[in-house]
Amino acid sequence: MHIPFRLPLLTVLMMATSVHAWAVETPVKGGTLIYLEQQAHTNLYPPAGGFYPNGGILNQITDKLTWQNPKTLQVEPWIAESWTSNADKTEYTFKIRPGVTFSDGTPLDANAVAKNFDTYGLGNKAQRLPVSEVINNYDHSEVVDAQTVKFYFKKPSPGFLQGTATIGSGLVSLSTLQRNFDELGDARHIIGSGPFVVSDEKLGREVTLAKRKDYQWGPKNLTQQGPANLDGIKIIVTPEDSVRIGALLAGQAGFIRQVQAYDEKQATDQGFQIYAAPTRGVNDSLSFRPDNPLVADLRVRQALLHATNTKQIVDTLFSPNYPQATSVIARSAAGYTDLSDKLTFDPAKANQLLDDAGWKAGSDGIRAKEGQRLALTVYESLPQPQNKEVLQLVAQQWRQVGVALNVKAGDAGSRTLDNLDPLKTPLTVSEVGRADPDVVKSMFYPANRDALLQKGGSSDKVKSFRDDKLNDLLVSISAEVDAKKRLQLTGEAQRYLLDNAYVIPIFEEPQVFAGAPWLKGATFEAVGRPSFYGAWIAKQ
Amino acid sequence: MSHYLLQRAGQGLLVLWAAFTLSFVLLQVLPGDAVLIKFQNPDLGLSPAQIEEMRIAYGADSPLWQQYFHTLFAMLRGDFGYSVQAGVAVSELIASNLPDTLQLAVPAFALAVALAFVLAFVSRLPALRWLSNAIQSLPVLFISLPTFWLGIALIQLFSFQLRLIPVINPSPLQGLILPIITVAIPISAPLAQILLRSIDQVSAQPFVGVARAKGLSETGVLWRHVIGNALLPALNIAGLLLGELIAGALITETVFGRGGLGQLTQQAVNNQDIAVLQAVVMISALGFVLINLLVDLLMPWFDPRLKTVTGGAI
Repeated sequence: MHIPFRLPLLTVLMMATSVHAWAVETPVKGGTLIYLEQQAHTNLYPPAGGFYPNGGILNQITDKLTWQNPKTLQVEPWIAESWTSNADKTEYTFKIRPGVTFSDGTPLDANAVAKNFDTYGLGNKAQRLPVSEVINNYDHSEVVDAQTVKFYFKKPSPGFLQGTATIGSGLVSLSTLQRNFDELGDARHIIGSGPFVVSDEKLGREVTLAKRKDYQWGPKNLTQQGPANLDGIKIIVTPEDSVRIGALLAGQAGFIRQVQAYDEKQATDQGFQIYAAPTRGVNDSLSFRPDNPLVADLRVRQALLHATNTKQIVDTLFSPNYPQATSVIARSAAGYTDLSDKLTFDPAKANQLLDDAGWKAGSDGIRAKEGQRLALTVYESLPQPQNKEVLQLVAQQWRQVGVALNVKAGDAGSRTLDNLDPLKTPLTVSEVGRADPDVVKSMFYPANRDALLQKGGSSDKVKSFRDDKLNDLLVSISAEVDAKKRLQLTGEAQRYLLDNAYVIPIFEEPQVFAGAPWLKGATFEAVGRPSFYGAWIAKQ
Repeated sequence: MSHYLLQRAGQGLLVLWAAFTLSFVLLQVLPGDAVLIKFQNPDLGLSPAQIEEMRIAYGADSPLWQQYFHTLFAMLRGDFGYSVQAGVAVSELIASNLPDTLQLAVPAFALAVALAFVLAFVSRLPALRWLSNAIQSLPVLFISLPTFWLGIALIQLFSFQLRLIPVINPSPLQGLILPIITVAIPISAPLAQILLRSIDQVSAQPFVGVARAKGLSETGVLWRHVIGNALLPALNIAGLLLGELIAGALITETVFGRGGLGQLTQQAVNNQDIAVLQAVVMISALGFVLINLLVDLLMPWFDPRLKTVTGGAI
């Protein structure tokens, strides 16, 4: 099987090095890509596009105002040809590229863009459409002329420009915006202007995308221009890990998402490509809920941070595609500050801190104080890679310093309810991707994801915990106009989170995909969602 | 006979109503609800007040008895409500998944019955007596194979190694072969065992001795006198295996990435999509009632003695 392939490939390679023009292969048009997904998509309202399976669909069918170059993280033109903003970053004006249409034939003009951002920035109660987490301090829009739109903000919103490049800001037609939230679970209802359109859907199982033949408005800095190369993409939900990787290796699929670390070698050995796309956001971490008296004491949280051996976790469970965390956010994220000196594995220090805090070893080896055992509960997080194994290993490590960690699976109802109650879940698994410093605010600010559960945030069960110093810091990141100062504030926030041992960062989470050797030109946006606009199937 | 039928149908309706009430109560005591699970998603970042508004919009705050009668009467009219998670009517979900389940379950059941018969019959054929022990132990092997493992093993062998049948994007017929085998094998095992035991019991009856004394061959005795009489207990158990069939289908659907009621149920359980679960419970209960009714009606046909009892004074 392998030998007849290898020779011509080698010849091509040699020719490619000798004749420069050969280095760029000409894309082949046509063909349908079979893409295997682990989970079915949920609601496809673009601000809910953060969920991996949703992003995989939305990234093919919607365009954004701007395009973030995944290499340089610079924001470049796409549907907006150009833009300006005032010095305060409270006003942004975008010039819209002419001639862009949604797949239902309606124009993507200034009016459509204004309606999109009014909905994402403010939400819509009547249709139950929630506010987008990537847009901060939004006030209103103004349609200046058919191709010019202006946005006004209540406070500076320096993250807005990057926010227009994210999955959550995919532009949809007015007919889509008129639908209720619950109708947007049906992919056929999402009318975008992207290179592909949803042509068919079997709910919970399969989404079929077809290319738009009249597509002429890809990001202007891409080599790919005009319509996509592929005729279509068939996204098939295949929950079983071994079936996805097996089907890829057996030639029944061209691209799969969520390759487990232990399957990576099998794929590369057979000449298949592993793509580990970084999500450039808050690392895969454990976040404490200090409202719970067991972890209210800083010394206890610090002890658990030093009792966690993250190196052992990445070495035992993962591959080099999952780097050990060295801060709250990933190395490739904007504003990253190396804080690995605060994240040392030091069981002696952990024991000392727990002793100091008054937790004495009990008869069963678990520390106790005033008759209460230091036993904590955490719920497994299904979207995170091998999360159950990670938590079980952490539980073993904490056991060494006399702390019990109970890892629960639980049904969705208990998990959702308990995760809102700091007394039931003193810690939670957190991770979020976004290539902008605003990501730190997204994760920890009470009005956003509220990972630490603060009073006045997402849970009404919190009695007192609130850290206003942290919150001020987070707000200032989202409103700081000076780019340099903003990165510096981001560094401060990371340091503050670790000094208070609010989080235990474990590893930088990639989205790992695998592709067949004949699939060329698959790319990934800045936080790891695949894009098949320029993808093509080479002759086999 | 019609009196008997009416009585059985009445009992069936009672069972359906009990299933509805029980499932309604059980589903209500679960912590959380679909609206909460859907909107508490951190990707959306909603405040508790906003989530409360959603719940009111979905009617999650009306009193339980009101919800009970509302759901019951709606179901009687054939309205199964709305799936909060999928964002479509439950009837639409059922309509798109039920055919898949039937396509899998009916042939799988037929195959299981055929397998059980072949096993039982072959192991009792006088010519194959030397193989009888080996064949008899097959059901025990079949019953101990986890459906999940069996499915994966069949895919690995027939789809990935031998590349005979694609598991991704198969034609409708190709897509059914391996799942049918996966569901059928564990179901055939208890059937085969019951059938074997029943054959042995019937063979010990005096009338079989008479048939033998009349000079009928062993195979003839087995075929003409024993099998027919040995069917009753197997038929009875076949009705009960429906539950097994649905459970097996759930795992099979997940492994093969197929649609169907099993996969629908699993997702609904995950998201506590109560309207969907309630509909699935009712459909399964209806299936049970109908199959058992069918079994009851078929019994007298196999055993004429039952006719006099059922047609009698009750």
